[in-house]
Amino acid sequence: MNRLKLRRLWSPTPLKRHYDTIIIGGGVHGLATAYCLARTHGIRDVAVLESQYIGFGGSGRNTAIVRANQRTPENVRFYAEGLKLWRVLTDELDFNLMFFNCGNLNLGHSEAAMNAFRLAANTHSFLGVKSEVLDPQQCAEAIPGLDISDRPAFPIHGGLFHPPGGIVRHDAVVWGLAKGAAAHGVHIHQGCEVRGIDTDGARVAGVRTSLGRVGCNRLGIMAGGYSTAVAAMLGIELPIHPLTIQAMVTLPLKPFLHHVFSSGAYHVYANQTLKGEIATGAHMDPQVNYTTDATAYYLKHQAEALVELMPALRRVRFMRIWAGLADMTPDMAPILEGNLGYDGLYLDAGWGYFGFKSGPVAGKYMAEYMATGERPEMIRAFQLKRFLENRYSGETAAVMKYGHWD
Amino acid sequence: MTFRLTCPVCGKRDIREFTFGGQERGPRPEQPGLSAEEHFRWVQFRMIPGAGAEAGAGAEDAGAPAGGRADTRREWWYHGQGCGVWFRTTRDPMTNREVEGGGGQG
Repeated sequence: MNRLKLRRLWSPTPLKRHYDTIIIGGGVHGLATAYCLARTHGIRDVAVLESQYIGFGGSGRNTAIVRANQRTPENVRFYAEGLKLWRVLTDELDFNLMFFNCGNLNLGHSEAAMNAFRLAANTHSFLGVKSEVLDPQQCAEAIPGLDISDRPAFPIHGGLFHPPGGIVRHDAVVWGLAKGAAAHGVHIHQGCEVRGIDTDGARVAGVRTSLGRVGCNRLGIMAGGYSTAVAAMLGIELPIHPLTIQAMVTLPLKPFLHHVFSSGAYHVYANQTLKGEIATGAHMDPQVNYTTDATAYYLKHQAEALVELMPALRRVRFMRIWAGLADMTPDMAPILEGNLGYDGLYLDAGWGYFGFKSGPVAGKYMAEYMATGERPEMIRAFQLKRFLENRYSGETAAVMKYGHWD
Repeated sequence: MTFRLTCPVCGKRDIREFTFGGQERGPRPEQPGLSAEEHFRWVQFRMIPGAGAEAGAGAEDAGAPAGGRADTRREWWYHGQGCGVWFRTTRDPMTNREVEGGGGQG
């Protein structure tokens, strides 16, 4: 029994009155940024403030899918690097992130979708990211039980298969990054809610929290779906809508689904977790809200969509349903900004559906941005000002987009 | 979580009968002298406060008073599966509910 003695991944630390850098949000993005600040850039006087517990928000509620088959070159490049980081971090953090490199299959239900797949596959191969267009027979071979007949309302015309993707255990990512960040001197404060942000008019000066005021030289807003609420404390308007997104799991089944699959037409994505559950989701309510309420009608929609694509799943029961927040931008690309309105204020938000898969790579570049003050080339496309210049990212043309605006 | 909105014609109806039409943005800015930046700010940029920051109001604060807090939103909704009217109502993003007395106006 002694071998099972519990050991803390990191030790509690007192809340200091001042830190060089404060990061609001103890999710994948905040922890990854803190980890890279401390490990790569030697900035160790860093605090991560989390109002609940680490991984409470989107980091613990997503369906853990990772991939790099985005539409636009700037996004593909960014996510392709992110995909390579899971293996690196598993070693570096000495923590099993359970990266399951099973590949992703997007289903197309029209010739227009197939053309979009061909275009996307060319973009991917041009950038060195593996992706291939499959015919319906190949889709059925990849996903046993998939109904490729003309019975469904939207028959399957083919698919886009992306071998480098897969799923990662999202809790492990949060815990591993927290462990790694703390080992390099970062303070992680859970149950510390930010209620206001102080500035001297030109520079950020600190935050007012449920545990008192804390000063800082640099502040990163990395609060996921709550980033709009944090920005509002400074009166900052953003083109971001926080929407609830729902997900659910069935009871565990024997392993049979060896890839992530998704369908934009049926508004569904699904994978089999390492525990055997079918994890599935996609629905967003269109109206802005900060609740994480799940809905009965979506449970029904999801059951209908899954059974239509894969009739063998009929009568399999859902076990749990939950919801989280997605911070949606108008062009489905993120906003990574520095010195936003105030010197020393950084923003890492607007990830929408893609906050989990982008966590470590966003942390890497946000840490570089915060440490040097220079915007890294890799994230130059994700500036806020694109929305004021009518130069939106083309990411809404991605073949796997699911928004209610589809 | 399902809830009801107040249609000015049909009264309280299930949310699934309605289509969301976006936040009420006020009148379109006057065109002469309007910069691209001002225009796009009006189109896309919003402030969406969360739980009353300094007041410490939580997500459980479902009993928001009529008229609501400063962070309730005026929104357009379309009763597409009912009478077909476009109308405005007031909703609280902290509770996802229509603010009592906020709906039913054309």
